[in-house]
Amino acid sequence: MISFGLEEEQELARDTVRKLAAEALRPRMRDYEKARAVPDALRQQVHELGLGTIDLPEALGGGGASLVTAAIVHEELAVGDPGLAVALASPAAAAHAICALGDEAQRQRWVPRFTGADGWARRGAIAYAERGSGGAPDRFATTARADGDGFVIDGTKAWVVDGGAAELVVVFAQLGDEPAAFVVERENPGLKVGARHQTLGLDVVEASELSFEGCRVGVDARLAGGGEFVAATARLFARLGLVNAARQVGLARAAYEFALDYTQERKAFGKAVAHFQAIAFTLADMHMDVEATRWMVWRAAVEVDRGELHDAWSAIAHAHEAAWRVADHGVQLLGGAGFIRDYPVEKWLRDTKALALHGPPSEALELEAAGAMLGHPVGSALPSPWVQPFFT
Amino acid sequence: MIDFELTKTQQQIREMAHQFAKYAVRPISLEADRTHRIPDEFMQRLADMRGLMTQGEVPKEYGGEGAGAGELKDKKGKTQKNRTALVGAEEMAWGDISVIMSLPGPGLGGPPVEFTGTPEQKERFFSVFKQPGLHWGAYGLTEPGAGSDVAGIRTTCRKEGKHWVLNGRKCYITNGARADWVVVFATVDPALGRAGHRTFVVEKGTPGFSVGKIEDKMGIRASETAELVLDECRVPEENLLGGEASYEGRSKEGFMAAMKTFDSSRPMVAVLGLGIARAAWEAARDFVKQNYLLARPIPRYAQIAETLARGKRALDAGRLLCWRAAWMADEGLPNAKEASMAKAYAARAAMTVCRDAVQLLGAEGLEENRLVEKWYRDIKVFDIFEGTGQVQRIVISKRILKEPPSF
Repeated sequence: MISFGLEEEQELARDTVRKLAAEALRPRMRDYEKARAVPDALRQQVHELGLGTIDLPEALGGGGASLVTAAIVHEELAVGDPGLAVALASPAAAAHAICALGDEAQRQRWVPRFTGADGWARRGAIAYAERGSGGAPDRFATTARADGDGFVIDGTKAWVVDGGAAELVVVFAQLGDEPAAFVVERENPGLKVGARHQTLGLDVVEASELSFEGCRVGVDARLAGGGEFVAATARLFARLGLVNAARQVGLARAAYEFALDYTQERKAFGKAVAHFQAIAFTLADMHMDVEATRWMVWRAAVEVDRGELHDAWSAIAHAHEAAWRVADHGVQLLGGAGFIRDYPVEKWLRDTKALALHGPPSEALELEAAGAMLGHPVGSALPSPWVQPFFT
Repeated sequence: MIDFELTKTQQQIREMAHQFAKYAVRPISLEADRTHRIPDEFMQRLADMRGLMTQGEVPKEYGGEGAGAGELKDKKGKTQKNRTALVGAEEMAWGDISVIMSLPGPGLGGPPVEFTGTPEQKERFFSVFKQPGLHWGAYGLTEPGAGSDVAGIRTTCRKEGKHWVLNGRKCYITNGARADWVVVFATVDPALGRAGHRTFVVEKGTPGFSVGKIEDKMGIRASETAELVLDECRVPEENLLGGEASYEGRSKEGFMAAMKTFDSSRPMVAVLGLGIARAAWEAARDFVKQNYLLARPIPRYAQIAETLARGKRALDAGRLLCWRAAWMADEGLPNAKEASMAKAYAARAAMTVCRDAVQLLGAEGLEENRLVEKWYRDIKVFDIFEGTGQVQRIVISKRILKEPPSF
């Protein structure tokens, strides 16, 4: 049945997060941006609310919520601050990867540490992207080879979110002709942390380079994806991508609402500028973009919960594009003030670009979506590690 | 619950509408466009299947049979009427928009009669559709000098004994010439603004009521667009919708009747546009498949692939806005803003997709025997009728400026 109505617990979750976002995220976002770090107290508070792990399975200590509920929560977090929305949830990305690609023993071994009482202090990471030099775009330059009763991994990964602090990294590598993924723990002497990246937006999110040098892991460290690795990885990307798309909706809504307020205060030629049609119509377009994008994300999320991926790529691409458009209008409607850091809109215009580079970029998604429309199987290949900058 | 699956009944209605569109409507689409009329045999077939394929709904209690869409209720006893109507309408428009707009039924005239008519009036005007033969209702709001600016209408009405005397011109009235009756908006005194508005049902054959010219248009050429002339037109007082008492002390009644129609008609019109654009998109996709993508990887044609992908998601986003407005209507929530958003967004998306479809077909896209050139002409009016994109943005912006921030 076509319905846009929230369940009671979804409304409750939305209202709780909205309050947190208004009280704890938005007022301090510039401080944390400058510090390029999230204080422990905030991590602890968010962890106690179960927000970062809300859609991990209940059996593993997660919230067991549907993806669409996660989308509602992440939209609200991102209205507070998109950077914090990423930074507070990214440590659990590795747990999502292990849930999607690992077997039951692997899930039991590695996931509960992120959902437990001290889960707030723990970081996990997904190491996927590589700087595209040499090799082929459809293969990882990072390699794994079977060696005795395990594997040896060699190569360098770039833009690994939480890479610097991660106690556990899910690393994608080339195993002969196959793509594969392995869990590498921090104490592994073959894992080396490189420099932290300076980024255009989302400064509060830590992203670093990781290198693997003769990094030896046991045979039980390989995440096999239940025998259909590529399809399982596609489902993982769809989940993470839609949560990220929900953040774009939140970011766009923040920019729209800020501009809506500002333009009703700001006067020019004797009246509030919001009452000039050039401004009023822009506000209307922003509002339409925010709403339409939210429904696109929700629809795809409901489908992914049912195991269907066909609208996920479109929804994610749509969110990246629409959010940028709205964020740009947000700066524009504030005029000179929009460019100044006293106001939040300039941050959102930087953040939206950074968010759009978390997960496969729109161009790759669009080709995947078009392929499906033209009768090619969905999720038949992994995105190139070259066009896969960040991962959360 | 957040859900986007159609119910079983909706799936059946969609399937039935699609079959009708594909096998009955699409084959006459080109001819209807060229001759500016619906072939007689088609109209005859409609008469045979009367009640199944109508435009606008006759309420059940007044003899409506429709597809039973109005009867669908969810677990909480709420109707699914608006949502179901959109699902069927999109498929029909996919067949041919002019043919669909020419289907018999109360059309846009239905809602004002339903929402503001007295029980006797509803009985009288809806019973027309129970009579043998084909019958139409129409909606006469627009004038040479006023359309979306409803407050600006200049057609006058004055009371004389048991009659109202109407004077003025209505233009761009869909099915205006063939309609059994037309809902006409008039004013007792333009200086009174909205308070002066009165809504009448003017029946065919009323003295002083005549059809002016039939418009020759860029698109939707087989749809009848008529000018109506009211020259000392004497309308019986029983035809004043709601009765005289309903206008006293309720200064906005007439205006609200006009506006209420838009709350359900705008998402409907929007979804019709999406149906046309989806047809164009599918034609472009098939053309691309046959002509570009033989044995070569899609990334070689990234620009074409991206155009298709973008078009699809623009239509999807537009459809979701329509569904949302319809869901709100079914839930009994005020939806004027959402109805306008659906219309504004979907119209623009549909225009873009039709333009791209012509482009993707290249020179073949311009050919007369290809429907895409027709769809390109048909779609433009969707950015105009039921309120232009600009008017929708006036409605939206006025409302958002009053909304409290969520944050």
